[in-house]
Amino acid sequence: MGRYVLRRVLQGILTLFLVIFLLHLLTTFAIQLNGNPALAFFGDRVPTQAQLSAVSARFGLDDPCYNQLGNPCFGPFVNRLKDYLSGDFGTNLRGREITSIVATAAPNSFRLFLVVTATWLVVGMFLGSTAARRRGKVVDHGIRGFSVMIDALPVFVMLLVYRYVITVPVYTWAKKQFGSDSFIALLFKPSFDSDHPMITVIIPGILLGLAGSAAFIRLVRAAQLENYNSDHVRAARSKGLSERHVRVFHIVRNSSIPVATAVGIVFTEALAGAVITEGVMNIYGMGGLLWNAVRDSDVSLIIGIVTLLAIVTIVVMILVDLLYAALDPRIRYE
Amino acid sequence: MTDLVVEFSTADGVVRAVDGLTYSVDAGRTLAIVGESGSGKSVSSLAVMGLLQSPPARIAGGSIRFNGTELLTMSRKQHRAYCGEHIGMVFQDALAALNPVYTVGWQLTEALRARHGFSRRQARTRAIELLDMVKVPAARQRVSEYPHQFSGGMRQRVMIAMALAMDPEVLIADEPTTALDVTVQAQIMTLLAEIQAERQMGLILITHDLGVVATVADQVTVMYAGRAVEQAPVLEAYGSPAHPYTKALLQSIPRLDRKGGELEVIPGRPPDLLAVPAGCPFHPRCERAEDVCRTGAPPPVVELPGGRSAACHFAQEVMTDA
Repeated sequence: MGRYVLRRVLQGILTLFLVIFLLHLLTTFAIQLNGNPALAFFGDRVPTQAQLSAVSARFGLDDPCYNQLGNPCFGPFVNRLKDYLSGDFGTNLRGREITSIVATAAPNSFRLFLVVTATWLVVGMFLGSTAARRRGKVVDHGIRGFSVMIDALPVFVMLLVYRYVITVPVYTWAKKQFGSDSFIALLFKPSFDSDHPMITVIIPGILLGLAGSAAFIRLVRAAQLENYNSDHVRAARSKGLSERHVRVFHIVRNSSIPVATAVGIVFTEALAGAVITEGVMNIYGMGGLLWNAVRDSDVSLIIGIVTLLAIVTIVVMILVDLLYAALDPRIRYE
Repeated sequence: MTDLVVEFSTADGVVRAVDGLTYSVDAGRTLAIVGESGSGKSVSSLAVMGLLQSPPARIAGGSIRFNGTELLTMSRKQHRAYCGEHIGMVFQDALAALNPVYTVGWQLTEALRARHGFSRRQARTRAIELLDMVKVPAARQRVSEYPHQFSGGMRQRVMIAMALAMDPEVLIADEPTTALDVTVQAQIMTLLAEIQAERQMGLILITHDLGVVATVADQVTVMYAGRAVEQAPVLEAYGSPAHPYTKALLQSIPRLDRKGGELEVIPGRPPDLLAVPAGCPFHPRCERAEDVCRTGAPPPVVELPGGRSAACHFAQEVMTDA
């Protein structure tokens, strides 16, 4: 078990290194093709050569390799790794510490993900199990139809419809009826409110969670169906156990193995969806931050955020693998 | 079991997997049910346990009584609970029939904990006892291992122990040795026979291995296309089969003392249950089939001396021929 964990962690670190390197290459080529991003610092003004080189130096963009197309710029890469290892993640183009930016943005993303995960589990597990239990019946067809419908409706369409069609009238009505600080009004507020970070992410989170739950519903259903007809479930029934006991201990428990592996995949999908959700709903989170950083070619911020997201993803994947090993005794002794 | 009829509704029509099957087993006796794949032998045992998936399966008639208690009028829930207490079942493929995510000890005593309120400690003691009973070496350690850590033969022993956990009065073993190699098969059969003798259980052995039947069974029921074609004490059935199918089956056993000869086979294939031939279902493959076999209803069951019966128009003749 210890060796298994160690191996997974080492693999994670290697993956992280590769992600950072790839990111470095991409941004390097972008700079080489598009010109010095330090120019963005000056907005519309035209800086003098001295000003430009001072700013470039401040953001680590003064290395001559950035002017040679195709040069992989190993020097700045090594420097950046060194900085990262010493806990220095640099500043954005406005001079704010990336760590402090992330510290304000990450909790909002975390809140969003809390709602997303809860939605997956509740909707996915509940509807998936119900469909499996009532296989072939109307309920089953209904749930499967529902999941296909969600799939056919991309998350950004859902969000745009929600924001521009539903929130405005409901919010106006709730504001008039209960006051602008009432729970209902805040719940349907068309954009994020940093004074009420939890309430205002609930509905965007549910919508994003629903989008991810479509695949989840079908997976839970398929995994449970496989168990409903399996020999070990029949053997368990032959012991005279109640159907409920068999369902909880033999069907849901055994089907949790493939479901746990899928959590990792759905999670990365939701991470991508979070960028869109935070963009549309103006949530000040990691996704929204990344969206703006790319628009401003804020290299340090992009690399910082993507590195962090990569770390989160890798940690989730390792956790999923460990969960998998914990759920399936056949894995542990490999 | 009296006149049991089990039907499956399929996309192509209704299939009668078991058609009027009657058998009984007494305490301490072994009944073997033999037949080809699809002859209804497993389905009838699943019907006893209330384990048929319905739909598509449906028990269309008959009755199953255990010590005078009718099982088929019970609700499914009652039926399963009742069978859990009184009838143990050993399944064919122990690797598939054991749950891979729980320890062997957990599974052995699952019903005891869930239904009889055993504590963890009591359950563990009982699990070790059960493993000892089926002669799993080092039971004390192995009780907390998982099924995939056991060899095929040991897994089948665990399966048997699981069926014995509730001290059943009848044990149904559905092809308990099919998935095992020959030496292990013999060990498992010996074990079953010993346990059965010791506890005076009734044993229903479902198999297609006629060699096994000869060594352990008292009584044999030969099934073909969902019907019992012959029922007889095992020695009589082997010595003088009263149904051409039984006879053909016995002739198709490879024999060591007739080396080099060609293996006898039964020509043709088992009938498609969607289109069972009129008359006797065996007639297209039967060497003695006559016109009377080819039309009308299947032949009635003929009672023969010695508590035997066979469903053949020529039972008497077949029996004396041999």
